[in-house]
Amino acid sequence: MHRLRLLTLLATTALAGAGFATLAQAEVIIRIAPVHTDAHVENYNPYNLTGPHAYVQDFAYEPLWIDNVWHPDNDFPALATSYELGADLKSVTYHLREGVKWSDGEPFTAADVVFTFNYAKAHLDFPIGYDIYSAEKDTGSIVDVVAVDDHTVRFELKNADSLARLNIGPVFPLPEHIWKDVADPVNYANPKVVATGPFTEVRDFSRNAFKLCKNPLYRDAAEVKIDCIEYPQLSDNLQVIAAITNGDLDWATDGITDPEITFASKSPDNHYWLPPDAGTNLQLNTTKAPFNNLEFRKAMSMAIDRSTLVDTATFGLTTPAEYPIGEGMFYKDWIDKTALAPYQYLMEYNPEAAKKVLDDAGFLDKDGDGWRDNPDGTPIAFKMAVPAGWDDWVNTLQTVSENLQDIGINGEMETPEEGAWFDNIPTGNFDVYIMWTNLSSTPWFTYHSMFNPRTMVPGQLNEQSMHQMQIPGIEADLAAISATADVAVQKEKITSVMKQVAENLPVITLFSNPAWYEYSTRNFTGWPDESNAWARPNNPAGIHERVKVLLSLTPVAK
Amino acid sequence: MAFLLRRLGFYFGAFFVAITLNFLIPRLMPGDPATRILLSLRGKLRPDQIDAIRKTYGFDGSLWEQYLQYLWRLAHFDFGISTVNFPEPTASLLFYAAGWTLFLVGAATALSFGIGITMGIWSAWRRGGFFDTFFTPINVMLNAFTPAVVALLLWYAFTMQWAIFPLGRAHEMNLTPAFNLETVLSVAWHAVLPVASIVIVSFGAWHLGMRNTMINLLNEDFVLLAKAKGLSDRRIRNRYVARNAILPQITSLALSIGYVLGGAFITEVVFNYPGLGKFTLNAIQTRDYSFIQAQLILLTMSVLIANLASDVLNVILDPRLRSLGRA
Repeated sequence: MHRLRLLTLLATTALAGAGFATLAQAEVIIRIAPVHTDAHVENYNPYNLTGPHAYVQDFAYEPLWIDNVWHPDNDFPALATSYELGADLKSVTYHLREGVKWSDGEPFTAADVVFTFNYAKAHLDFPIGYDIYSAEKDTGSIVDVVAVDDHTVRFELKNADSLARLNIGPVFPLPEHIWKDVADPVNYANPKVVATGPFTEVRDFSRNAFKLCKNPLYRDAAEVKIDCIEYPQLSDNLQVIAAITNGDLDWATDGITDPEITFASKSPDNHYWLPPDAGTNLQLNTTKAPFNNLEFRKAMSMAIDRSTLVDTATFGLTTPAEYPIGEGMFYKDWIDKTALAPYQYLMEYNPEAAKKVLDDAGFLDKDGDGWRDNPDGTPIAFKMAVPAGWDDWVNTLQTVSENLQDIGINGEMETPEEGAWFDNIPTGNFDVYIMWTNLSSTPWFTYHSMFNPRTMVPGQLNEQSMHQMQIPGIEADLAAISATADVAVQKEKITSVMKQVAENLPVITLFSNPAWYEYSTRNFTGWPDESNAWARPNNPAGIHERVKVLLSLTPVAK
Repeated sequence: MAFLLRRLGFYFGAFFVAITLNFLIPRLMPGDPATRILLSLRGKLRPDQIDAIRKTYGFDGSLWEQYLQYLWRLAHFDFGISTVNFPEPTASLLFYAAGWTLFLVGAATALSFGIGITMGIWSAWRRGGFFDTFFTPINVMLNAFTPAVVALLLWYAFTMQWAIFPLGRAHEMNLTPAFNLETVLSVAWHAVLPVASIVIVSFGAWHLGMRNTMINLLNEDFVLLAKAKGLSDRRIRNRYVARNAILPQITSLALSIGYVLGGAFITEVVFNYPGLGKFTLNAIQTRDYSFIQAQLILLTMSVLIANLASDVLNVILDPRLRSLGRA
């Protein structure tokens, strides 16, 4: 009797399971690696930067314009179908797509864009992302936004600025009819997603996983081949890589140390590609000796064995930087090879030449302790800091430290705890830090954050300008770039900026970090790869192209 | 009674010191939740946004103001909002995780106690026999392993090399836990490796403790007398020796139960098990003050309660303590 009941139960469970399986097969679900978290929480606020924004940005909320950062000539219109800069470069006008509906059926109009800007202005602590002009501080660029008609909006700028559109285009407009009633947007969990993108329906929410499913009102809903995006809960890199290795995930952008062995060899469906991402620099505190001496900085750059860094310290996954321009190879289309060729020697490992530079500049061992001293006789000993646990960078600084010691420079590595490392930045209390570079659609933003004198105030230093070297020529070039829309002139000025970085070496360029990108062809094909590099293929929040990549995939017929 | 009152006074003092330290320690660590968010986004956030985040979470008041607010909230059982799992209330995450930890570490403790005690009885009873000479050294060795090594080895072998067991989690991803066969089977299946990884490193201690106490007792006169009376081996082993030898083990068990809610950090992290250990580790790394505080309070309370229970038991079992109170 008992056994019979158990058998019936098992049979029912099996049937139910089979039924579920068929049902699930009918739906095309792509599993994307989540933001690392111990538990999902119901928060779909597109501007909650603790993590939830990564799920709904791009896939649910759409920007006006998607810049194709790798191929600026092949951008993607989104909520706007076109834009134009004002003749005086003091405005940008967007022509909005007609007939777009929010997922609750309300029409999307210029009023929503105007509302979003005014809302951002009223809630400055809510990171909507508009670079709003502040008269009090004289910073920012957008002064106002005007609805010309239902489908045209014009952003008014404080100064002539051809690059402002790169800040305006990526902002996600919010539906006025929902958000006008939200008084405290920072703490608003946005339980019901009302957006215009391809995936707006939250389904099957649990702390373990949830799905973001098709928006039936999306303009191209019929062409969307994926029914739902599923985000499982995963806590760290190890788990994400394990999951995609075993075929439990389709798309991930997590760090991995030995992809050939631990990942690609486990299944013919497992693939990865690590194109160059943000650069890695040594930020030297140029307000102090010996870093205030250009010859010393040159010798430092020449003494570093970058091929060892790339091959062993960073597990062979990074891309060597070819020029000492404070950037890796992310902006390779902007690099003028002939103009920069004279500076290439600074990137080549040449300890003998480095020693000679130091000898000639008077950095000799004067007190006989085996280490070189400053020309005035004071000893040189400094610390290079990297957070404990950032393994690739810890290895990097270890190698750099050995390279410097080989030419007689006493530079040691220290590995403070992450928080302590970061807390020291604004104070200026450091010698050398290893640091990432900011990325954007044009190198302008990268150099702007690295050379803006406003960010070099001791006590509130920005992590990008820790070197604190003001180079007026670079500031002038950057100003000239944003004041023109002529791409040829912009390129020429960027080359000039790059040359000045190479001449002054405020930072020591090391390599480009990898853009992590792992994918599985088990369930989907058509992924971008090295031979099909039409857009950036990684998927963290901020990479707006990711929705285009997702929609271009072809489900494998099962 | 006076003894118990004195102990209660001590526990209350200890509790107050603990909640104050809970408040201070995370804040004395460098960095705050806002910095963590910035670091995790490595340059994808603008600096003015950090200040906005700091303000959002209310870390801009003075330490004293924050402390008073913390005590006030605590008195109302309000543990605040988790910053990493925003906007989930800390209490709901804490109880969610505590449930899984109770199950995981509780089951593992019960299993290793049962296995260890049984093996201890057997190896003491036939000291020098095959069972004793074979298992005792092995258990000494296993007991010396760290949980990290065992958890990683089991994880690598049984989920990556031979994909027999699931990669992690407490149950199937799309399952909403309920009291039905599907849930029970799924939870049991997912618990095999995590439980095993704790049991493997911990049952040896129980085995050795039980074995040593048993061996001491076996030399006592009452055992000789029992043998002389012609009692069966089984009766002597179970009723006379093991029963006495298990008393000190039960005291240590009571104490270790107090620590169950500390979770099993490594095991939970490796197997992505939604327990307190994993949540706490992440809370510490991300400076999720309210979660760290709440978890430490929970742990302090469970340890204090376990101690109190053992005090009460001692008063009942030990007449000397009772007379001490009267004197």
